[in-house]
Amino acid sequence: MIDLNPSTNSPAPSELGPSIGKAPGSGTRFDRKARLRWSNKLFRLVCIGSASFVCLVLLCILVLMLRTGVLTFGDVSLSEFFFSTNWDPENEHYGALIFILGTLALTGLTMLFAIPISVIIAVFLAEMTPKWLRHTLRPVLDLLVGIPSVVYGFLGLTILIPWLRDLSGHDLADGLLAASIVLTIMVLPTISRISDDAISAVPNKYRDAAYALGANRFQTVIRVVLPAARSGIMYAVILGMTRAIGETMAVVMVIGNTAQLPNSLFTPTSVLTSNIVMQISSVEFDSTWNHGLYMMGFILLAISILMIVVVRMFQKKGGHSS
Amino acid sequence: MKKWIKPFTAMLMAVSLIGGLGGATTASAAKSTEKGKIVINGSSALLPLTLQAASEFKKDNPKVKISASAAGSITGPQSVRKGIADIGAVDWDASKDVPGFKKFDGMVANPVAVTVFTAVVNTNVGVSNLTTKQLQDIFSGKVTNWKEVGGSDANIVVVNRKFGSGTRVNFQQKALDGKDFMSKGDNYKEVGSSGDMKTTIETTPNAIGYIDLPYVTSKMKAVSINGVAPTEKNVLNKTYKVWGIGYYMTKGQPTGATKAFIDYIQSSKFQNGSLKKLKFIPLAAVK
Repeated sequence: MIDLNPSTNSPAPSELGPSIGKAPGSGTRFDRKARLRWSNKLFRLVCIGSASFVCLVLLCILVLMLRTGVLTFGDVSLSEFFFSTNWDPENEHYGALIFILGTLALTGLTMLFAIPISVIIAVFLAEMTPKWLRHTLRPVLDLLVGIPSVVYGFLGLTILIPWLRDLSGHDLADGLLAASIVLTIMVLPTISRISDDAISAVPNKYRDAAYALGANRFQTVIRVVLPAARSGIMYAVILGMTRAIGETMAVVMVIGNTAQLPNSLFTPTSVLTSNIVMQISSVEFDSTWNHGLYMMGFILLAISILMIVVVRMFQKKGGHSS
Repeated sequence: MKKWIKPFTAMLMAVSLIGGLGGATTASAAKSTEKGKIVINGSSALLPLTLQAASEFKKDNPKVKISASAAGSITGPQSVRKGIADIGAVDWDASKDVPGFKKFDGMVANPVAVTVFTAVVNTNVGVSNLTTKQLQDIFSGKVTNWKEVGGSDANIVVVNRKFGSGTRVNFQQKALDGKDFMSKGDNYKEVGSSGDMKTTIETTPNAIGYIDLPYVTSKMKAVSINGVAPTEKNVLNKTYKVWGIGYYMTKGQPTGATKAFIDYIQSSKFQNGSLKKLKFIPLAAVK
């Protein structure tokens, strides 16, 4: 009884923690206060350092790609590189327009397929599934993200393409459609899982209010839940899009790798990533061809950065208006 | 990256020891005295050979470190020139000009093995023999229907290897007599490796492509050229001419551990032993 209370009194305060209520100057240089200040400062420095390291890496990549890529224009005019569709490096023609258009078309088509499907999956997961099913489906989707892209590409090559061939009547069904279907399957889990989280994070009071006003479930989801989760879904789309635009191995196996402008969705063609990966290892190190491929890599990087910026701007606007 | 590795590249030749005669003795005499580091890069076709030779060589020469990788024929001599590698494995003689590739000055080509290449078609194609002219017309896009070369009425699908492939260089020179490939068209595609070529030919009706002999499976058909089937026997009796020699490129004459290693690969012990087991066979017989 007696021992319980007086713990504050009996031990000498200096022994417990000299620096706590006291001003500095309590003796040692590295008292608790100083240590705290130092460790806080250090922690902050480490965080700032890590963050700027990321920026530095990105900057280095950009600079390296641009510096090597720009050498292309010593031998090739800007207008040829960006506005010609004649890619025939063996005969000194370096027109990269096919690949730029191909990349944009492929990403666009993929998003056209992927966004509606994955948002529906997300809505289903977040709003309609019973708990046990949700707990099964989410890990399944997470696992899909982890499958190496080569596997998707191989399945596309051996299953999807013969199927498309029968369906379309083309002799060779490689092309934008096959590639975008493979990419759609690859980005579905990314987009739907993140959208799912965004939708789940919408407070229940919104739904309750909508139901209280007499809305049915469809109206609630379309008019209330999705707009409320909009920025999260946008974020999911960005991630999906960057995965689609940079995906290489799977695309290479189903796109046909032919440097021509496609006149249908079933014509073999080529995009920036597939062309780079096909050629980079076979090209002389310091040739115009090699520099051209670097330039194409830089364009790829620039396109994805631009897309992220544009989507971010959209996101902000949406955030203000709603 | 696994796709780059051609597990086996056939060499269907018998041994005889051109430059290797003296090498054989040097290699055994040099037992365990060599030390150093050998870096090998280049042809994926020759990689299995290189790896096998390296593991055997290291038993005799424990002080030599060998690291081998493969990123495609043309990277071999390039890496040697840049000083990244000591040996550049390549499917053609890179010390001479080859269509599309300038020669590498100051490099020595050390022959190590021979590969047989063959035109292959999907099993549904009813054609089993093509002339050189017909092959040229098909691969340049002039002939687009199988009935024009004696098959059924179906469009030809042409599958090509990408630029820089050693298989492509050999096929173009020896099966097409140097004629150019087409590069565009609805029924034309390019693939990155022998593995992709195999899969594509197997799964695409009416397709034609070309590949190294060990890759030929029951799901595809190797086509005779000018009536000669692509077999080891026909290469040895000199009637089938679509084959090529794989080389190890070195900067100047090889020295030290590098020389010992190349000597080992050229020795009759290795050429008649492991090399044959890997479906590579020694090179001298074709000379």
